[in-house]
Amino acid sequence: MGFNGISGILNSPGEIPWEIVVLFFGAGLIFAFLWGRKSGGLAKFTTLDLIYIGIGAAFAVVWEFYIGAFLGKFIPSNPFFGIGYTGRLIALLIVAGLVRKVGVGMVAMFIFNLLSDLISYGFSGEPMYFMYEMLTYGLMMDIVIAAAGPNLFGIKSPERRRNTEKDRSATPRGFERITKMPAEYLAAIEGILIGIFWVVPEPLFYGGFISPFLYGGVVDWGKILFDMVAFIPSAIIIGAIGGLITLRIVKAVGQ
Amino acid sequence: MNWLIINVVSWMLFFFGAAFPVLILLKAIGLTGFMKVTRYESYHTFYYRMNPSVKIILGIMVMVVASVTIWWIGAIMTVAILSSYLTLKEGKRKFITGMFLTIMTVIGTTWAFAPYTPYVILQEAFHNSHLTTLWVWPSYFTVMGYQPALTTQGLIYGFQISMRFTAVSLMSLVLVMTSTPSQVLRSLNKVGIPTSLTFSLVVAMRTVPRIFEYIDTSVKIQFMKGLGSNAPSIMRPFYMLAGAFSGIVPVIVFLVRGAKDTAISADTRAFRAYSKRTYMHPMTIGKVDKMALSAVILIILMTVIMVMMGFGKGISYNG
Repeated sequence: MGFNGISGILNSPGEIPWEIVVLFFGAGLIFAFLWGRKSGGLAKFTTLDLIYIGIGAAFAVVWEFYIGAFLGKFIPSNPFFGIGYTGRLIALLIVAGLVRKVGVGMVAMFIFNLLSDLISYGFSGEPMYFMYEMLTYGLMMDIVIAAAGPNLFGIKSPERRRNTEKDRSATPRGFERITKMPAEYLAAIEGILIGIFWVVPEPLFYGGFISPFLYGGVVDWGKILFDMVAFIPSAIIIGAIGGLITLRIVKAVGQ
Repeated sequence: MNWLIINVVSWMLFFFGAAFPVLILLKAIGLTGFMKVTRYESYHTFYYRMNPSVKIILGIMVMVVASVTIWWIGAIMTVAILSSYLTLKEGKRKFITGMFLTIMTVIGTTWAFAPYTPYVILQEAFHNSHLTTLWVWPSYFTVMGYQPALTTQGLIYGFQISMRFTAVSLMSLVLVMTSTPSQVLRSLNKVGIPTSLTFSLVVAMRTVPRIFEYIDTSVKIQFMKGLGSNAPSIMRPFYMLAGAFSGIVPVIVFLVRGAKDTAISADTRAFRAYSKRTYMHPMTIGKVDKMALSAVILIILMTVIMVMMGFGKGISYNG
């Protein structure tokens, strides 16, 4: 019967060895811990950031369980495009664009997961899903934010914040060349990067470990690799559109 | 001619699975219906007096029982929880909305599994190598992941799986409809979740019904501006869907613009000034909670007995 819907199967044929998963999640947790110690963790988020995160998580939930869930019924099950993925990615990109602090990805995924459990799933399979969603989707978004610095999605690009001494000093030195790029290009490129990063967890971690671990799902490595490659073209398009939508919304909010 | 009929009927069946739940969503429930079942409204019946932690425990219990027992136990729980909606404020309306949500989930889940489930799983699940074919799809439907034919067993399999979700979804909405966000915040803080996270969660809980409300307003404004005014009335739901879709980004902008006011409001009330909060009305375990917890223990005992009697999970779930 297992615990809370978790069968705990570790020796399914083809399943990713649990040691590798533990190593990955362990590294993710260490990253989160070190980031927390260095930056002050949750404390560094302002009240406004926490509200943006809440609003973004609410949109992701409304899309996942209501709007996207019904629109998705018109599109047959396919490995190339996912309605749920689209809405969740765009909602989280918007939150990342508004907050632009490392950790926002993980915190937003935690809230999204908690709200999903409260209004629909009933905490089935937890705490596996908290770890999975935060340390895959959330962490990958945070890595891009860490690399991009405060100029995520070109929000502080010279075109937008022309020649203010304060903003120039806020830009990390290694990214000077990138910031000369028009903000729209940078938004699209970083959206694409996050989109591609987000393609990996579902087939690799879910198909290769979580699914057999929770309920004995069959691991098919041909399918896992095909699903990852097949999803990349739509991830590129959705990521680029998501980045541009984010830039527009951030502008409309007055940042 | 035969080829044409098969194609037309097959596509009609495909769009039935997609469009019928959406039609229920737009016609019977509507965006205001969703708003009603995701928003707290003050009232006095037992759900409203229950500690939110106990409601979460009830939800987990329903989920566990539905996942380890045979499908009809899930169906009984669905009927029982849905009936309890009548005790809520505007209970009749919420009962009808909950009923349509359940119908939508059943049709959606059945249609999500019936055409796709491999025959070998159906044969294993029903202990029967002979499957009854209802409709043979055109061969190119296999590209969409469809099996060559729709079978009776496939439909039954999909229906039985839906019974694992319906009760949990209905129970989860009870928490949202009958607890104030502040009560949920206090309960979650008690189990050690930091205030910052619970604050975000509360904002999210309050935002969900507002999203439906603002999208509804946005759609109405678009209709007033002439969206689909020359189209036949049969096309109206599709225009409504298009209006809702194009209203999403403006609604996001509207909500995030209002975020600053909420932040100022929270900060001026000294939010996070201290690491711990005190509450004027602490969450307690009352008579209703004790009764609910006794019911939980009783149901767990009954479940163990049912599983021992052979009424455990009847069909393997491979979703």
